[in-house]
Parts: sequence; C-alpha cells; structure tokens
Amino acid sequence: MKEIQVKVSNRNGMHLRLAGELVKNTSRFSSDIRIIRNGEEINAKSILSVAGLGAGYGQELKIRAEGEDEEEALKLLKKLFDTGFSEG
Amino acid sequence: MVRKKREYTVEDFFKDNKEELGLELLTSSLKGPLNITGSDVHRPAFALSGFMENYLNSRIQIIAETETLFMRSLEPGQMKEAAERIFSKPLCCIMITKNLDLPDVFIDEAERKSVPVLRTPKETTPFIHELTEILDYYFAPRTKLHGSLVDVYGVGLLFTGRSGIGKSEIVLDLVERGHRLVADDVVEILRRGDVVIGRGQEFLKHFMELRGIGIINVMDTYGIRAIRIQKRIEVVVELKDWDPGRDWDRHGLDERYTEILGSRIRQLIIPIFPGKNITVISETIALDHMLKVYGINAAKSLDDKISDWMKSKKRTRRYLRNDTE
Repeated sequence: MKEIQVKVSNRNGMHLRLAGELVKNTSRFSSDIRIIRNGEEINAKSILSVAGLGAGYGQELKIRAEGEDEEEALKLLKKLFDTGFSEG
Repeated sequence: MVRKKREYTVEDFFKDNKEELGLELLTSSLKGPLNITGSDVHRPAFALSGFMENYLNSRIQIIAETETLFMRSLEPGQMKEAAERIFSKPLCCIMITKNLDLPDVFIDEAERKSVPVLRTPKETTPFIHELTEILDYYFAPRTKLHGSLVDVYGVGLLFTGRSGIGKSEIVLDLVERGHRLVADDVVEILRRGDVVIGRGQEFLKHFMELRGIGIINVMDTYGIRAIRIQKRIEVVVELKDWDPGRDWDRHGLDERYTEILGSRIRQLIIPIFPGKNITVISETIALDHMLKVYGINAAKSLDDKISDWMKSKKRTRRYLRNDTE
C-alpha cells in the first residue's frame, strides 16, 4: 500500500470533464485506488464519487493505491495532478 | 457506398404514378430520347417565346395556362416555330396540367421527336409539389448498411458492430419488451434533407437469422406490433468487445458523431461483455436521446452543479475569513 499527496492545480477545480480524465486513468490499473480528503475516502475509479468531491483549485488530496501496479498508478497520477491533466 | 446516379425512365415513371397523378398519355410512345434524371422541373415559357438561353431541356417540362395561352395567341406559322423551338433540344417528357389542350402542331412535333407528352387534370402548383415529392423520394441518396434498426420508444437506434457480437439477440430482446423491429442485418438507407431513413430490404423485411435456430419471421412470431416499415435513424449504437485498455466515454460531455450519406448522426460506442444487459442500456440511450432533443443534458447539468458548488464554497470561505466578530 502506498500513498501520495497531490494538489488540484486546475483553475476550475475538479469539474466533470477532469473527473472523467482521472477515472479513465485510474481504471487502467488493477490496484484499488482511493482518494482521501479530510479523512473522507472515495473510490478513484468512480466518476460520480470523484466529481462529488467538488474539489476546488488548490485543494489538497491524498491518493492511496493498493495492488500489484500501485507504484505505476501513483506515478502516473502524480504526473497528472502536477501537470494539471495537461489542461493548463 | 453510394450507388451511381439513378435514372427514371418515363415508362417506369408513368407506370408507377399514373393513378396517383391522374396521368394520360397524349402521344403514341413512352420511349423518349432522355430519361428523367432529377426532381427539378422547368416551365418553358421563355423558350416558347424565343428566348433560348438557359432552356433547361434535361428537366421535365411543365406546360400550364401561361404557355397554352401564349401559343394560342400566335399565328399558325409562329405557332409551328414555337413548337420547333421547344423540341430543338432533346427532352425527357412534357407534362400538361389542368387538362389543357395544346395546338395539334405541338403534339405532332412531339410525336416527330418521339417525346412523350403526359397530361393531368391537377392544378399546376399542387401538381408540381406532388411531382417533386415523388421524384425527390426516387432520387434520394441511398445506401445499404450492415446493422439492425429498431424503434425504441420512438427513437430509431441503429445497432452496428462485428458480425456475431449479438445484434440480433439485442433486437429480439427489445422486440420482446414491446419495441419494434425495422430491419435486421441489412438496412436500406435513404436521405431526405438531413433526415436519414432506414428500412428493410424488400423481401428480407422482418426475417431474422438466429445462430442455432435459423430463420425466423418476426412479424409472424411476435405480431404486427413488433414491426415497423421504416424509421428515421437518430442514434448509431456501435457494439464493441470490452477492452479494458480502451477509453470508454465516462461522462458524455462530448458527443460523438458518425456520417451516413453525408448526414451527421449521433454515435455511441457501447462495450459488450458476457452478462451485460444491453436491452436496458438501449432503452436508456433512447430516453436520454429524447431528453437531449428537449434540451436536457444530464452531464452538463451535473458539471454546472459542481462548478456552482465550488464557487459557493469559495464565497463561504471568504465570508468566514473576513468575519472578525
């Protein structure tokens, strides 16, 4: 089990399109992936859960992955959050 | 694949529409120098009077009150010249409206050039509308597609996908639930304006092949309410084998389109795997499409709600931060 800390770097926050991008990527991995905010934990492969976070710009989130490909998964997710999902 | 431009022989046209348009043949033969090649008509009043520019001789020539009155106003010599002008170019046919009588010299000239002259009792403008309607249908762009067309809650869903993926089973399941089959396997398609209409092939209509059973007739098996002759295609549902590596649409904010006969049709790509209930999904596709037609888009309204919520949160935070009480 591994965890990383990320920050929403998109000006418009985690809107639906972005949530879609995120679950598209998390769904590629077999690991169980969770997003944790203020102790609340949601499934990172469910678009409604991710969108339901209503995570605005600058929001800090914890991502936890557990499974065979947890390392690759977190590496990719870190990159996505750092680059603002290449949305700018 | 669009077939090459159709031509309508005057003979076939007459046979097909004689009753509907009340047509009678005034000359001896239906075999003329040209076939009908389009639905546009031409009124040859200017050519009769001597102005030959832009005389659109390949179109059906409509002779009505104005043309007849003009001819009747001429001296016999001029009348013959006028008739010769009209037939100086090859014509497919001439249609006279309102049961009007043409001078004999005109009919003789038509006979000499073997141009069929037809006559209808109908008024000119309604006749032209009716004629255009018939010819538009005949000349509409057509093609054939491999797929199954079903009317689901009044929305035409065209199922496509590799053979053996289960299109026929889905169709049968939908029919069982009260929806209506238009065509299975081969769908004949024609476009009128932006509207794309599908129907079954003439003698294959409402027959289906089911692997392991063979041929069944949906109308005999499920009754008349299980079928429909033709339906506008509104959504193309492409069935694809489930592939975890593929980017399946997760929110539907962006709509995908495909083209049929140059017309844009909404397309959805639906993953298929054992145990998946495509019937319920198909019904949902139809209902969601209707909502979209009415301007209700679930993905957009959810996205708006998320944005509003994030904004209101920001306002609250600012309020609390500035709250120095």
